[in-house]
Amino acid sequence: MRRLPSVLAVLASGLALAACQKVDNTAGAPTVYIDPGSSGPVKGVGIESQDIVGMTDQMLRDMLSQPRLANAATPPNVIIDAEYFYNESSSRLNKNSITDRLRVGLNRAAGGRMQFVGRHYADMVAKERDLKRQGTVDRATLPAAKAQKGGDFRLGGRITSLDSRDPKTGMMQRYNQIIFEMVDLESSEIVWSGIYEFAKAAQDDIIYR
Amino acid sequence: MRRLLATTFGLVLLGGCTTMDPAPRCDMGRISSQRDLVPGPAMVPGESSPLKEMPLNSVNITDEGILNKLYVRTITARRTATGTVEVIAQVVNCTDFPLNAEARTQFYDANPAPSEPVSAWKRIHLSPRTSNVYSEFSMGAQTVDGYMIEMRETK
Repeated sequence: MRRLPSVLAVLASGLALAACQKVDNTAGAPTVYIDPGSSGPVKGVGIESQDIVGMTDQMLRDMLSQPRLANAATPPNVIIDAEYFYNESSSRLNKNSITDRLRVGLNRAAGGRMQFVGRHYADMVAKERDLKRQGTVDRATLPAAKAQKGGDFRLGGRITSLDSRDPKTGMMQRYNQIIFEMVDLESSEIVWSGIYEFAKAAQDDIIYR
Repeated sequence: MRRLLATTFGLVLLGGCTTMDPAPRCDMGRISSQRDLVPGPAMVPGESSPLKEMPLNSVNITDEGILNKLYVRTITARRTATGTVEVIAQVVNCTDFPLNAEARTQFYDANPAPSEPVSAWKRIHLSPRTSNVYSEFSMGAQTVDGYMIEMRETK
C-alpha cells in the first residue's frame, strides 16, 4: 500500500511520455531522386515529367471507360505509337515518352479488354518470319500466323502551344494543349478524343534538352 | 459571478477557434509501443492500427495549407458503361483568393487492398469563392469496391 504513490507516479510518467511522442515531422535525407509525378526543383513553362505522368494516366483511364474501346465483344487491335502524334509546340521533347507511357500503362491495365499491336516492331517481326519461312531458323513453339496483326484503331494527336512574354519583367507564359484521338483504321472515324491542357507562367524560362 | 462569466465567454471563444489537424493523424505513442513486438512500425495482426485511418470513400485533405480553405461539398461514385468506377468530388474554395489544389485517387478491392496503382495527381483550379469538380476513373472494372481521394495544394 505504501508503494501505491510511487506506482501511480510511474504510471503517470509513462502515460505522459507516451502522450509526448509525436511524428518527427522534419525533412528526410536529401537525395537526387524525385517523384516524377510532382514538380521538381527545376521547373519552367514547358511540358515536364509530372505533365507526362498526369496526361497519360488521365487518357488511359478515360479510354478504359469508353465502351467502343474497352467493352467490345471482340477486343479491338490498337496501335499506340508516336508515328501520327505531332509536336507543333515550342516545347522541346521526345514525344515517344508520352506515347510509350500511354501504351505501356494501357496494356498493363487493359487486362485483355484491348489487344496491342507493336507496329513499331513490324520490321523486327518481318525479319524473324522470313528467317523461319526460309528455314534458316526453326519454327519455334508458337503456331504460325498468316500475317502480322492489323490495327482496328490507331492513336493520333498533336501538341501545340501559345507563348507570350512580358518584355518589362521577363515573365514568360505558355499555354500547352495536347490532344489524343483514336481513329478507326477502316472508316477514319474518330472514336475517342481526349484533351490535356495547362498554362504556366514563370519569371525565367529554363532550358529543356 | 463576473469572473465565472468571463471564463465561460473565453471558453466559448476558444471553442469557436478550434482548428482541425490534417490527415493522416498518427498516434505515435501506439506506433512506438508496437515496435517492441515487430521489427518495424507496421500494424500488428489482430490489433487495431495505431494509424488513425483515413476513411474510405471520402476526400482526405492531407495538406495543412488548404485544410481550412477548401470545403468538399459532395462526393459521388458511379459505374461507367465499361464497369469502371468514376469518382466525382465537388470542391469549394472558401477564400477570397485563387487556389490551386491537386488530388489523386487510390481504388480498393473488397478486402480492402489497393486494386490498381494510385492515379496521377490531377490539378483543380479554384477561383475565389467558386467551386470546381475533381473526377477520376478507375482502371479496373469489377475489382473496384472502394476509393480514397487525397488532396493537397499544388506547389
